[in-house]
Amino acid sequence: MDSILNPPSPDSNPSTQFERDRHVRFLEMMYQLLPSEYQGQEINRLTLAYFVVSGLHILGASDRVDKGGVINWVLSLQAHPKNEAELNDGQFYGFHGSRSSQFHSDDNAVWIPNGSHLASTYCALAILKTLGYDLSLLDSESILKSMKNLQQSDGSFMPIHTGAERDLRFVFCAAAICSMLENWSGMDKENVKKYILNCQSYDGGFGLMPGSESHGGATYCAVASLRLMGFIGDELSKSATSCIINVPLLLDWCLQRQAIDGGFQGRLNKDTDTCYAFWIGGVLRILGAHKFIDEKALRQFLLTCQSQYGGFSKFPRQLPDIYHSYYGFSAFSLLEEPGVNPIRVELGITDVDAIGL
Amino acid sequence: MQDLISDRLSLSMESDEEEKRVPLSRRPEWCDVTPVRQDDGPNTVVPIAYREEFAETMDYFRAIFLADERSPRALQLTSEAILINPGNYTVWQFRRLILEALNADLHEELDFVEHVATDNSKNYQIWHHRRWVAEKLGTDASSKELEFTKKIFFMDAKNYHAWSHRQWVLQALGGWEDELAYCQQLLEDDIFNNSAWNQRYFVMTRSPLLGGLEAMRDSEVRYTVEAIIAKPENESPWRYLRGLYKDDSQSWINDPQVSSVCLMVLNLKGNVLFALSTLLDLLCHGFQPSQELKDAVDALTSDSDSPASDLATTVCSLLERADPMRANYWKWRKGMLRQTV
Repeated sequence: MDSILNPPSPDSNPSTQFERDRHVRFLEMMYQLLPSEYQGQEINRLTLAYFVVSGLHILGASDRVDKGGVINWVLSLQAHPKNEAELNDGQFYGFHGSRSSQFHSDDNAVWIPNGSHLASTYCALAILKTLGYDLSLLDSESILKSMKNLQQSDGSFMPIHTGAERDLRFVFCAAAICSMLENWSGMDKENVKKYILNCQSYDGGFGLMPGSESHGGATYCAVASLRLMGFIGDELSKSATSCIINVPLLLDWCLQRQAIDGGFQGRLNKDTDTCYAFWIGGVLRILGAHKFIDEKALRQFLLTCQSQYGGFSKFPRQLPDIYHSYYGFSAFSLLEEPGVNPIRVELGITDVDAIGL
Repeated sequence: MQDLISDRLSLSMESDEEEKRVPLSRRPEWCDVTPVRQDDGPNTVVPIAYREEFAETMDYFRAIFLADERSPRALQLTSEAILINPGNYTVWQFRRLILEALNADLHEELDFVEHVATDNSKNYQIWHHRRWVAEKLGTDASSKELEFTKKIFFMDAKNYHAWSHRQWVLQALGGWEDELAYCQQLLEDDIFNNSAWNQRYFVMTRSPLLGGLEAMRDSEVRYTVEAIIAKPENESPWRYLRGLYKDDSQSWINDPQVSSVCLMVLNLKGNVLFALSTLLDLLCHGFQPSQELKDAVDALTSDSDSPASDLATTVCSLLERADPMRANYWKWRKGMLRQTV
């Protein structure tokens, strides 16, 4: 463990290639036990699992996990309404983020709290789909019907029925959930569209909320949601006026985010960071404009963020974490790295339909 | 999105406070409570190596949460749980129920949030909680909230959560009077601060005191042009300038201030990327260039360049050279000219 905590010396030369096997070993280690630095994320355990399991799948190494065990664990986190009346009580019946917020009726409790969360539900479905579980076996009716309770009058979503911030992240989660369940009854699509359009900033990018500064992650959530909902296609092949968003400005904004060091920054005049190679690279892929980036420079930047122990860090020559590792792998998938599976960008997981199971 | 996961990994490192901490199991006031262990069940996936203090605090939290105990000691326990686990929205939510039940002093609560936010300013739950408290306090909270975000910007002038909070405060509780002056001050500190430019745009478009974008356009254009001339490589004012004409391309291509800032920057022959890119967009929207502007573009071409039939094509060629990272994009834009002109 000591060797992991000592960062490599800054002058050690970064590897000149994508170290797939080291990345697989890194994720295998995380699958066995996450270090205590992750304890502050315990409520998002499904999200941590998504990074590890889906990450291994992108690397073509999903055989390293106990598929049946993972599937059963994920399924066990679903919240089920006891009856039809409960389904209409205004709560959200999705997936709990972790066991720590999930209680059972035999717990001898005064009440049975329901901590279902949209992001956890997205991650649960993403893991299940990645592992080849037939999603039609799920009780999707209760997820979708109760998810409508989370949509606000302005079209946005909050992630949990007890109240939380509302922004594009949860719009994306809701759209991805509907898409994976192949049922859009869980949202008012037109209202969602209106909200997303309100988030496009004066500079062409999208902010997390109307009025917010354009941000790479928010821009991904906006564009991926519009694609999942079928409101946009390969926009570059169409004339500029026919699209519901300002594509020329968006395209220019995205492309200018590739900075002189080859990496992508999430906002104007900010440092480059591994994850935006996916967030913004992904938007460009959806728009059909990935061919315009400098792939060689991006690759070189990403390699400076590749840890010698496997995984990727946020900034060059730092310690890796599973979040930036996942988006580092995804970025290499977009760069069509040999041995890395193609991803379905707008869903954020391996393109399981294309590669077969 | 990244902040959802990445920015909280650094907490819970050893500190003096931790050494002094008395375990809950040895505190007399907790002796009547049986902690509820986390039941991971079979097939545990990505287990976490919890530190002892963390596990114990959460075990006691589960116990009072399940018992729905809304008491002063429960409030104190949520404080401890939040300090080691600020991402846990269940703890925050329960804390709100307790605050309501105890009719607690919400000004004290703001102090608590400030204490937590000092180390975790990129945590979504803190900001949602802060908003909940401020909402309850109403318009009186406005100035305190604006001051609070200022403190955060003093540490990180681009903190996304703090900007969202500030925009919400302005819209929900008011306090617009000094906002433009504050943007001005931040931009004087750092003209590259795009968050401050965005806030300036927010003020222009939403402040009830200023009369809207069109009324403010002339003075804003002058301010922006000055910023561009000072640092032509700064993308922020260029995008802001374009934004000042949102949904009004006609005014944009007809305003001589726009083409003249392009001309001035081209004549400086320093960083011409954004000047060329702006000029290209103007031309694509039907702008008729002056001879002076054509000459300024010509002056940037070298003898080896083959003479192009039109200005936009020349600008694209120059952009390919000035911005090699995006050479394929500018080539594509050149190809598209045949369809748009």
